[in-house]
Amino acid sequence: MSSQLDSIQFEVIRSALVEATEEMAVSLRRSAYSTNIKTRADFSCAYFDRELRPIAQAFGQAVHLGSLVELVPRAVRAYGLEKLGEGDAILTNDPYSGGVHLNDVTLISPVHVRGECFGYVANLAHHVDVGGGAPASIGAFREVFQEGIIIPPVRLVRGGEVVEDLFALVMAQIRSSYETAGDFRAQMAANVTGVRRLKDLLTRWGAETVRTCQEELLDYTERRARGELARLPRGEFAAEGVVDNDGFTDRPVRLAARVVIDERGVLFDLSGSDPQRPAPVNSTYAMTYSACAYVLKCLIDPDVPVNHGFYRLVSLAAPAGTVVHARPPAPVVGGWETQTRLTDVMLKALAPALPERVPAGTKAMQCQVGFGGTDPRTGELYAFYEAIAGGYGGRASRDGPDAVQAHGQNTENAPVEEIEINYPVRIGRYELVEESEGAGRQRGGLGLRRDYCFPDHAVSFTILADRDRWGPWGLFGGLPGRKASYVLNPQGAAARLGSKLTLQLRPGDVVSYRTCGGGGYGDPHQRDPEAVAADVREGKVGPERARRIYRVAIDPVTLRLDEERTRELRRG
Amino acid sequence: MAYRLGIDIGGTFTDATLINEATGEIRIDKVPSTPRDHSQALLEAAHRILTENGVEPAQVTYLVHGTTVATNAIIEGTIARTGFVTTEGFRDLLEIARQIRPSLYDLQFEKPRPLVPRYLCFGVPERLDDRGKVVTPLDEGAVARVARRLAEEEVESIAVCLLHAYANPEHEQRVGKIMREALPQVPLSLSSEVAPEFREYFRASTTVINAAIQPVVARYLQRIESQLRKEGLEAELLLMQSSGGVFTFAEGRRRPVFMVESGPAAGVISAAYLGKELNFPDLISFDMGGTTAKVGLIQDGTPKITKDYEVGASAQAGTGAQRGSGYPIRTPVIDLVEIGAGGGSIAWVDSGGILRVGPRSAGAEPGPVCYRQGGSEPTVTDANLVLGRLQPDHFLGGRLTLDVEAARRAIKEKCADILGMEVVEAAHGMVEIANAAMVNALRLVSVQRGYDPRRFALVAFGGAGPVHANRLAAEMEMPTTIIPPSPGTTSALGLLVTDLKHEYTTTLIERLDRLDLAAVEATYRGLETQGRETLAREGVPEPDIGCVWQAELRYVGQSYELNIPWAENRIDSATVRQAAERFHLEHDRANGFSAPEEPVELVNLRLVAVGRIRKPALRQRKAVGRDLSSALAATASVYFEESGGYVCCPLYDRYRLEPGHRMEGPAVVVELDSTTVIHPGCLAEVDRHENLILRNRASR
Repeated sequence: MSSQLDSIQFEVIRSALVEATEEMAVSLRRSAYSTNIKTRADFSCAYFDRELRPIAQAFGQAVHLGSLVELVPRAVRAYGLEKLGEGDAILTNDPYSGGVHLNDVTLISPVHVRGECFGYVANLAHHVDVGGGAPASIGAFREVFQEGIIIPPVRLVRGGEVVEDLFALVMAQIRSSYETAGDFRAQMAANVTGVRRLKDLLTRWGAETVRTCQEELLDYTERRARGELARLPRGEFAAEGVVDNDGFTDRPVRLAARVVIDERGVLFDLSGSDPQRPAPVNSTYAMTYSACAYVLKCLIDPDVPVNHGFYRLVSLAAPAGTVVHARPPAPVVGGWETQTRLTDVMLKALAPALPERVPAGTKAMQCQVGFGGTDPRTGELYAFYEAIAGGYGGRASRDGPDAVQAHGQNTENAPVEEIEINYPVRIGRYELVEESEGAGRQRGGLGLRRDYCFPDHAVSFTILADRDRWGPWGLFGGLPGRKASYVLNPQGAAARLGSKLTLQLRPGDVVSYRTCGGGGYGDPHQRDPEAVAADVREGKVGPERARRIYRVAIDPVTLRLDEERTRELRRG
Repeated sequence: MAYRLGIDIGGTFTDATLINEATGEIRIDKVPSTPRDHSQALLEAAHRILTENGVEPAQVTYLVHGTTVATNAIIEGTIARTGFVTTEGFRDLLEIARQIRPSLYDLQFEKPRPLVPRYLCFGVPERLDDRGKVVTPLDEGAVARVARRLAEEEVESIAVCLLHAYANPEHEQRVGKIMREALPQVPLSLSSEVAPEFREYFRASTTVINAAIQPVVARYLQRIESQLRKEGLEAELLLMQSSGGVFTFAEGRRRPVFMVESGPAAGVISAAYLGKELNFPDLISFDMGGTTAKVGLIQDGTPKITKDYEVGASAQAGTGAQRGSGYPIRTPVIDLVEIGAGGGSIAWVDSGGILRVGPRSAGAEPGPVCYRQGGSEPTVTDANLVLGRLQPDHFLGGRLTLDVEAARRAIKEKCADILGMEVVEAAHGMVEIANAAMVNALRLVSVQRGYDPRRFALVAFGGAGPVHANRLAAEMEMPTTIIPPSPGTTSALGLLVTDLKHEYTTTLIERLDRLDLAAVEATYRGLETQGRETLAREGVPEPDIGCVWQAELRYVGQSYELNIPWAENRIDSATVRQAAERFHLEHDRANGFSAPEEPVELVNLRLVAVGRIRKPALRQRKAVGRDLSSALAATASVYFEESGGYVCCPLYDRYRLEPGHRMEGPAVVVELDSTTVIHPGCLAEVDRHENLILRNRASR
């Protein structure tokens, strides 16, 4: 550091930079229209320096950890830095120029001081609909072109004014145009907030000081991240896993991860993964990169900032043309399913080296719900989107929590009452799936059931999920969690549905999601009998399962633990 | 002579405040809190302050109590054994909560444990739609069976929250009736009475908290009431609510969830009262103590209120990084940003070689190094001492002599040496870093919510507030800073300067241009009747009752509402138009844009019923014409960055200052419970109420 006083300025400016992105996040969330952004916080915001290196970020969702990092530099360069003036903003969602899936649309604005570009603010938000073959723009398609409107980097805002022709063209592709227009306004407002805040900061401290601090921030971060790296076990760790099917065939999608930790950083080598498919299971490079960054972030001190200095430690080997680095025109909408599973696989690879820290298999799917049609109450088109939680994996000294999002995904549930007010659907049940836990010394969490009923109109309904063939794995003798199931009309004919499809529902139809339980950790016979008894008392596990799987005897009437008989069972 | 008595129970101390209604004279006392039975400290404090000031219990006209008994019950898990009844298919509402992890990258995270275990949660067949229409009739036989189970399980309280009960309470009321018949002794909380707003998990959580703390709070109130009566106290007994209003013990027993954040509200109320008296209607209150700093915003004399609050959540600095770590309530709570930066916050050097401050705190035990109570880690207080901003011989009126050398040593060993800095540089760095965190908190309540801090005055109190306030105001470009006399006890005064307040909300979702005006007005009248009746029960005479009609509005399709007061308590096309206009303006302020061409939607009707209580006048003091030099206690050597190092400056004794005295910075003013630092370039003046009014040169 150049002088000692700078070390204090540094800490002050550093927190102000992060605060600027946090302010963007607040602005975006407060003013957005769609439930997915405002309630479920499916967005992230970032600030980049003039060299397009990420400096500060605010996350609604960890899954976006690497998205903006890949996307913003490529989009700005593709558009042409020199063409961007004060008050401009570029819009993009192109999966093949650094993007993710089409629903995630990014808006990037330059920050100018005295006519010169100082850096960029950007925000990415998941839009409920971007056109394409099914409401909410999710579904099983063969090409990316069927998935919705592709927006290469284009200037949506010029000198503070929306370019109306372009905006009209984009909006014409979208089903829920009213909501989406509101969300775009919110994205613009967030960038205006970010630009204003950075300008304040530059006025307060001077461009040179802030620039010096940014450089130091990257070095500082790298220094701290490397300090953390030194505490991780060195070596090469590998695991494999699958996405259960691809939506067109039952052929599992193979994912292979080799994690190499050495003094240079962490290499995630995914070369053994399957070639890409003309099916909705392909992850873009940016999505895959996000998974790698997330894994490293989980393993180090949470206090280490996230910026270019942190990303310097992450390297990814993902051959183009595979499901972990798709090439055009492969569809990508289900890429997050693959990306999330990949996170689970990478952690599984590390389990033998870090048994105290890594959980057993988690939900590790996005588990998306999309539907839409014509709202009989208003006669207007609508589109709805959400994602449902499941069981978390057991950990070395803790059970896996029930009904919770996993890994990069941390979206909230939309309140049932709010959904029913806004959309012509009725949620019939929303409850835990009893006995879905992967048994273990520390058990996995329970999955979740959510039933969607459409009493009075026909809808197009899409399931884009997974885990319908295998549940999340157990670790160190733990058993897998119960697999997910998707059922049409559970109270009538009860037909099992695939995990990646679009259905045309008739009035009165019901679709029931039952998500998977988390994997167990350690031998179920070693589970504390009192903990089993508590689960039985709570109705999460039945007495029969307690006896059979955990070898714990529970009195069926009092539901109390029978210690004598438990000892006998366990001895045998 | 008539007196008012305020008693505020905090973690370490229980503060008693006594005001003479006629003269405005304030007396203060402190006793150690008694966490095992808070009523002990309460009685002790009441007894002591009355005896020491020669006041008969019968002379006290009313008593206001601020208490953390409700919060503690939740945090410590000493809540009542509660049953939860909901719609069939939704038994796990509390378990599922929001389906999120409270921290994004922590693989060992836990979800907060539901306040009602799953075996005491029951679904009953029934269903309403979003308009309150019956889809499935209530199965009363099933309800009766649940009632029997709850009786067998010997629950002590029952919460009922059925889907869409905010739109139609009838099913809940019938469930309530069956429960009352089966379990006549067990208190009952219905969501349609406690928090009749849509969003089932939040309503259920609010209702469950109300139920779970109800017996605990009732027992506590019962105990102190009977003991206070035994002492001869005849006063009206009131409780501070989270919203900053007070209500009677009877209401507190009925709706205890409204007093969950009873403690922190008082400081902001006190600041608002001060602002009104001094004609500063727009203020930011800054309360800095040993472990945290709390910042709140007051506009037009009214503190900002939020309904987005979690009980027992980890302290938040950013934008909800810890969302989901506590239990949400949807009752009005004074909107405070609380950060882990206090006098006791510990400085350390992180693994990247950067000086950091907090969030760990030395608290009261062992406290800062300079207190000589066994603390070994350097704190913000130690840094202020090294910089001369606290004076070793003038702390707590000289009752505690601070150890400067020990403070220097700790800063040297734990920070300066590692960083290769001089001790004074490190100390200055510690203070500046703590200041930066507080500036962020000030920005969060102002700039981030669309308020320009330059149009607000800063009111600083708490033991450590006045040490930092001047610097913060300069950084925020706030022209005026007010330091009330005896800043360490400002907060407690808030208990005695507020009004009786009851808030009612009901959900009614409809576009403004499609409102059934007469029906909306009738709903408001209904809420107003409830409010007036409650206040009348509390003994407020009709002329002292005021009702404010408010609406929570949003653009159709949004999910965050803004609270907009109606121009008049009347619903017609003119007031609706005015409300919409006001909403567009507010939206622009809060979010940076508005969309006047978009339809606006009414979401919740809100009614605030206020029973005005006469406020004591602030005490005035006449100058006797002493010279400022008579207040000069000593000279001090104080470090100021703007002066390039230590400068010799006057040290004044606040008790010897009188109205009209003006001091140029640099200077330091000491009093028993705080120290005010006046930076170079700043002017301080004593007003007729003995407040210090600080103005920065730029804005003079």
